[in-house]
Amino acid sequence: MSEHEELEASVAAWVLGAVDTDEAELMRVHIDACAICREAAVRLRRAAGALPLAADDVAPPARLRERVLTAAAASRGSLATSAPRRNEPRRPVRMTPRATTRARLPIYAAAAAILLALVVGAVAGDLIGRDSVRPPTSTVARFAVVGNQELAGARATVIDLKSDGVVLVDFNGLPALRSGKVYEVWLITSDGRADPAAVFVPDSNGSKVVLVNRSLEGYSLMAVTREAGPAGSDAPTEQPQMSGTIT
Amino acid sequence: MEGLADPDLAAALVAGSQDALAELYDRYAPLAYGVALRVLGDPARAEDAVQEAFLKIWNGASTFDARRGSLRTWLLTAVRNRSIDYLRGRAAHERQEQELVPELVEAGARSDPWRQVSLSLERTAVREALTSIPAEQRQAVELAFFGGYTHREIADMTRVPLSTVKGRMRLALEKLSSYLQGRGLVDV
Repeated sequence: MSEHEELEASVAAWVLGAVDTDEAELMRVHIDACAICREAAVRLRRAAGALPLAADDVAPPARLRERVLTAAAASRGSLATSAPRRNEPRRPVRMTPRATTRARLPIYAAAAAILLALVVGAVAGDLIGRDSVRPPTSTVARFAVVGNQELAGARATVIDLKSDGVVLVDFNGLPALRSGKVYEVWLITSDGRADPAAVFVPDSNGSKVVLVNRSLEGYSLMAVTREAGPAGSDAPTEQPQMSGTIT
Repeated sequence: MEGLADPDLAAALVAGSQDALAELYDRYAPLAYGVALRVLGDPARAEDAVQEAFLKIWNGASTFDARRGSLRTWLLTAVRNRSIDYLRGRAAHERQEQELVPELVEAGARSDPWRQVSLSLERTAVREALTSIPAEQRQAVELAFFGGYTHREIADMTRVPLSTVKGRMRLALEKLSSYLQGRGLVDV
């Protein structure tokens, strides 16, 4: 069998995306140069393109529409026209101990102190938000949140849609989480109170657009920690792995 | 936006119209989600795949060329490819295969009621075509397209020579092409 005959036999598999990576590149090069195989590929590709129509309609969850529109707005930096509500806000929690949770007081107090100290330290260490830029408009503001330590390769763009009272955070480069863990976003006031803002799990690419359904008014820092899922924690339990100024 | 044909809808997407994106979503989300769910079998990952496919259309709308295919075909191809990427645990940029950009003749330029009617006819035709081909050929195509398996993996799974799997795929797509062409659903 000639090389052409061998490759021609794989054209159908190629248009179905069913060849190995190396073979795919070989096929691509051959088809570019071979009129016979190119004609076959075009014809078979049309048929393969109809295959999705064999799937049944399935109503997606209602939240997906908002996710798509929110992510689209974030990706172009435009204002969202409908407010997404995927990550519902939770009751703000001060990083000071509550009378009813005396047993957890040392943990909360320590967490508050650690978080504030580390975030302030990170600012001093020039680890965070160095390229935060305010756009000229007063309706949309952007900030950078960057990772450190184990999340050194992670970055996020915070898009504050002031007129809508919501904030989008576009995360990239996040490492996969251990089973049962989530990333938790914190908004921190200048006096060290950390309010939980959202929990999320990134996709397989380490990306996620997260909605923070509240104004950034009164907060000076955003930080991210890894917490127990699925609901996250009331207060940070580890050092912030990402942080950035949001003023 | 409801009555807009694909090229006009694409132009609105390029202009950054969220209404256009919402219209595209409302038209095809159940089909897109159905494709993702069939490939992945996981609602959460299916949502991610659909979201990324819509974003791909949104961010790449300026490259849309109605002569190469419809928005619907582009979207569904993106959904399928992204779903397979998830299934194989790889990033989209690692994709080596060329994007499937078929040229189904469908209702892109027609009004909304016709779009629905035409879509229904196309789906019926595709399903009839698939049921009309021998089971082993249909299985080879479905394992590849919806299962994300390579022809070598399918050969191992079904315990037949690789050349047989290639032949089954070829025959299945040729028959599907002829069937759809006979009903005026693909260009000659």
